[in-house]
Amino acid sequence: MLFWVAAAFLTFAASMAVLVPLSRRADAKGEVAREINVYRDQLEEVERDVSRGLLAPEEAEQARAEIARRILKADGTQSPGDPTAPASRLSRIAAAAAVISIPLVSWGLYSVLGSPDLPQQPLAERMTRDPAASTPAELVARAERQLAANPDDLRGWEVLAPIYTKMQRYDDAANAYRAAIRLGGSSAPRQAGLGEALVYSADGLITKDAQMAFETALKDTPGMPKARFFLAMAKAQEGDVANATREWQELANSLPADDPWKGAAQAMMEQANKPAQMPGPSRQQIEDAQEMSPADRSAMIEQMVSGLDEKLRENPNDAEGWQRLIRAYIVLGRESDAAAALGRAVTAFGPQSDQARQLNQFAAQLGLKVKP
Amino acid sequence: MTRKQKRLSVILGGLGFLALAAALTFFALGQKASYFYMPADIEQAQLAPGQRIRLGGLVEEGSIIRGQGTTVRFSVTDQANTVKVTYTGILPDLFRDNQGVIAEGSFGSDGVFVADSVLAKHDENYMPKEVADSLKERGLFQHAEPKSPGS
Amino acid sequence: MIEIGHFALVLAFALALVQSTVPLIGAWRGDARMMGVGPTVAITGFALTALAFVALLSAFAQSDFSVANVWQNSHSLKPMLFKITGVWGSHEGSMLLWVLILTFFGALVAAFGGNLPETLKANVLAVQGWIGTTFLLFILTTSNPFVRLNPAPVEGQDLNPILQDIGLAVHPPLLYLGYVGFSICFSFAVAALIEGRIDAAWARWVRPWTLAAWMFLTGGIAMGSYWAYYELGWGGFWFWDPVENASFMPWLAGTALLHSAVVMEKRSALKIWTLLLAILTFSLSLLGTFLVRSGVLTSVHAFATDPSRGVFILAILTLFIGGSFFLFALRAQSLTTGGLFHPISREGALVLNNLFLTTATATVLVGTLYPLLMDALAGTKISVGAPFFNFTFIPLMVPLLVAVPFGPMLAWKRSDLFAVSQRLAFAFVSAIVIALMVLMLSDRKSALAAAGIALSSWLLLGAVTDLAVKAGIGKVSAGVAFRRLAGLPRSMFGTALAHFGLGLTVLGIVAVTAFGTESIATLKKGEALDIGGRHVRFEGLRPVSGPNYTAQTGTFTLEDGTKIESSKRFYPVRQMPTTEAGIKTLIFSQIYIQLGDETADGGVVVHAWWKPLVTLIWLGGLVMMAGAAVSLSDRRLRVGAPAARRAKLASAGGAQ
Repeated sequence: MLFWVAAAFLTFAASMAVLVPLSRRADAKGEVAREINVYRDQLEEVERDVSRGLLAPEEAEQARAEIARRILKADGTQSPGDPTAPASRLSRIAAAAAVISIPLVSWGLYSVLGSPDLPQQPLAERMTRDPAASTPAELVARAERQLAANPDDLRGWEVLAPIYTKMQRYDDAANAYRAAIRLGGSSAPRQAGLGEALVYSADGLITKDAQMAFETALKDTPGMPKARFFLAMAKAQEGDVANATREWQELANSLPADDPWKGAAQAMMEQANKPAQMPGPSRQQIEDAQEMSPADRSAMIEQMVSGLDEKLRENPNDAEGWQRLIRAYIVLGRESDAAAALGRAVTAFGPQSDQARQLNQFAAQLGLKVKP
Repeated sequence: MTRKQKRLSVILGGLGFLALAAALTFFALGQKASYFYMPADIEQAQLAPGQRIRLGGLVEEGSIIRGQGTTVRFSVTDQANTVKVTYTGILPDLFRDNQGVIAEGSFGSDGVFVADSVLAKHDENYMPKEVADSLKERGLFQHAEPKSPGS
Repeated sequence: MIEIGHFALVLAFALALVQSTVPLIGAWRGDARMMGVGPTVAITGFALTALAFVALLSAFAQSDFSVANVWQNSHSLKPMLFKITGVWGSHEGSMLLWVLILTFFGALVAAFGGNLPETLKANVLAVQGWIGTTFLLFILTTSNPFVRLNPAPVEGQDLNPILQDIGLAVHPPLLYLGYVGFSICFSFAVAALIEGRIDAAWARWVRPWTLAAWMFLTGGIAMGSYWAYYELGWGGFWFWDPVENASFMPWLAGTALLHSAVVMEKRSALKIWTLLLAILTFSLSLLGTFLVRSGVLTSVHAFATDPSRGVFILAILTLFIGGSFFLFALRAQSLTTGGLFHPISREGALVLNNLFLTTATATVLVGTLYPLLMDALAGTKISVGAPFFNFTFIPLMVPLLVAVPFGPMLAWKRSDLFAVSQRLAFAFVSAIVIALMVLMLSDRKSALAAAGIALSSWLLLGAVTDLAVKAGIGKVSAGVAFRRLAGLPRSMFGTALAHFGLGLTVLGIVAVTAFGTESIATLKKGEALDIGGRHVRFEGLRPVSGPNYTAQTGTFTLEDGTKIESSKRFYPVRQMPTTEAGIKTLIFSQIYIQLGDETADGGVVVHAWWKPLVTLIWLGGLVMMAGAAVSLSDRRLRVGAPAARRAKLASAGGAQ
């Protein structure tokens, strides 16, 4: 809306810039030959040079004569037309065309080139707005910012790692899993996730590091499908197709029909038994859509909200932060948490303070029922 | 001298000067411009040792030998032929394997190209124009489309 | 905000269309109302372009990655200064800056052109309108900085790291102020051709614009040269690279224009030639823009090139150069020629200056375009580099530089060369003595270097002599001389300053080329290297991390404990390394250290240079700029503010 008002105003101003001089009644004072001013000044200059001793008297005389000739010549030249004369037909037509062309050209061209509906999106604002309204990429960027400030946040790494894998940022994923292992100790999901990221990062090759990760995972949780699947693939890549096929077969048999690993294992078996074709990267078969799944999404948001919650515990004098937190809890359907947050905020600012009153009002607008 | 003669002599002087400058320029173009060769052209070119040329191509993968004092050895290739190059000094920031480069200098008597300057532009997508054209002729290089989403 | 900026730019285009037609018709029909449209439209057009520019600026400052140009050239972690300079680090933004400056100059003519005849002013603004229209069309169709992305990425691709530098914050705007400033001279020339009338007053009206453009271009070139010197890490200040030549050619032609306009103003002579130079200078500016933006020539400095844009600029180039020369051929016959003069006179000296400068421009032009021509005609690929330019350009410059001190001391119309030589005898003898001293001190090795030093001393002393003679020092008492010196017109000070600056630059170039030394060594911690008679000790490497890069910084110390830090940076977003040379300025000279690779045995390759008097090269440029600024403040150029007051003064002057 603001844009359309501004655009209309600018168009109006631009049209006026053409219209005003065209409709002005020029004053009757005739045009002076402006050249004369310059020559008069040149004459003065000759006098100054003479008085400074820079010019000999006879030279000055010659210079004066020369300038005088120019003045005579300039006087002879015609000065432009009478400004008070009524506008001719041609100039009226030209003027009208000019005034009309401005809105026509600008709105016409802009409607082709512009994107008036796209709001501006400063990064700082995108990083602080309601997480529920953010795009997946924004959520990841925000989580990265939080982690850059607080690299020991285990939960942050854990949430981010599988998302990196989904976004095909495999090196980042491997780093995130490593950070999670460093902070939270080794566990089967973490090791298997690390292994997976390393495999994709190596374009489907089971590297030594990846194999070690899968083996550690399997030691921790025997029978883990992901680890078994990739270890079988390692065998296939070493050329031991028979054992690989056997292991995939065992894996497929042990899993329920709707398990994604079952389908993946079956597909790999088929591929491995086709002659002259090494089992290659199978990302497409294993991976779900690139989109962030609802589960991942809510995990990200939860993580973000708890980060904010944490921050407000340390620094409760942030009314805007409290508003964001309360709204986030309501969006997530955690009304009791929202109420608790409001309570904490009110205590922090003091029940009688302006901030507390505003926050209560804000919560009421969002439909939060507060027990008095 | 009459006024006309005077003017004529001034104009003639000016023209003479211009002719001199033009002669100087074209003499210099013949003498001082360095020709550009790809490794594949070198054999036919029959260059005298010491003749200055510009050698263009890609840095052959794995051919860079550094760390022996301040002299660096590497090979410039156009896939058809490869030329060994030595250079003393600090290579450009973006000098690396498979990077398009231009080395300026001359061949020593042992057939190794001694470069006194090595250009690799300060842009990560750099391919010197001569190199890109020549490689394109040989069908080895496709111009990379600038990546930009949504357009 | 960003879309308002976009709309403002489109609107500026619509206004430029009006500006290029209505005042022109007005001047042709003698309709004052239509001519009156020119100034208001020019000023409004500038305001709209400025609004567009500010919108883009704020998008960069706020890291709004929904704008494609921001996404391609910025990064959220980049320091704020480089976010802002990133606006003109990109092709699209730099073209917007180009047009902003163009409209700015147009607005200046509109606002301060009260002393111009109405028709001339209207025509000048119309020609400005043509240039503005074509370039706005170019921006909107091929390089629109306001293209949006939806959904917006969360992180940008960062600006080319070597452009993230304070030198690049200043260099392009200055250069563009110069390039585009000459567009005013071009517009004046074309307007004069349209009217078919040109006289001495025209030269005075053009003079301030020429001076201002020349001043900015000088600064832009000096700044660019210094940037290349310290950022590219080669230790060189000029490479005769096509992009450098592209800025140097308008400078040479502009310098010629500056001098020939003086003759035209004073003596009403060289009118056609001056007109031609004005057209030529701007044509070379356009050619420069084309060369830099099209990528048709191999250059180490050409950033963001795109052949399709090149074709568009080539079309603009052909249109303006072809059109103006056609008009010139049509009208040149009808223009009257001016006063006569003796070869030995101020005019004669200025003609000589023009002869040399334009020949030098032609030489640089040939050398720059010859590879392009050879490629197109014969298919041979050649490169024309420093050897060619040193061989042709320097012999052309030396006689010109020898003649420089004579010029300002010669009288108009007819002068006495012998008398002038007598006045310059002191400067001449001193220069020879200095050269002999240099020859002795440098073990009589380099006669050429001594000659170079003599030439620069001759220039420096010649400029001082000029002022001293005009003040009458030695002839009159000290007090009178001082009063006369203070009373000299500022343009005379400007001339002397600019020539002095030229001498400084020549001195710097000669000193660095003749007496600079370099040394390459592999150093381990604690080892040292001798350069320029100084002992430089390597104190080791340490890792440093910057806002958007990581670096290995090497520390060096001189014997007196002065530290020099040189580093190799790595910018992860673009996966690009850069070299930050370590530079220590000792009075006017510099020690320049560049880090190379680490060797297997734990050492580092270090390239060190001793650059005697190197800073004078750019200091000279600053002095030349100061000369132009002083000249610009001369009262002659403020002619005709209020016409009434001036007329009164004139009659008072006449009555005396």
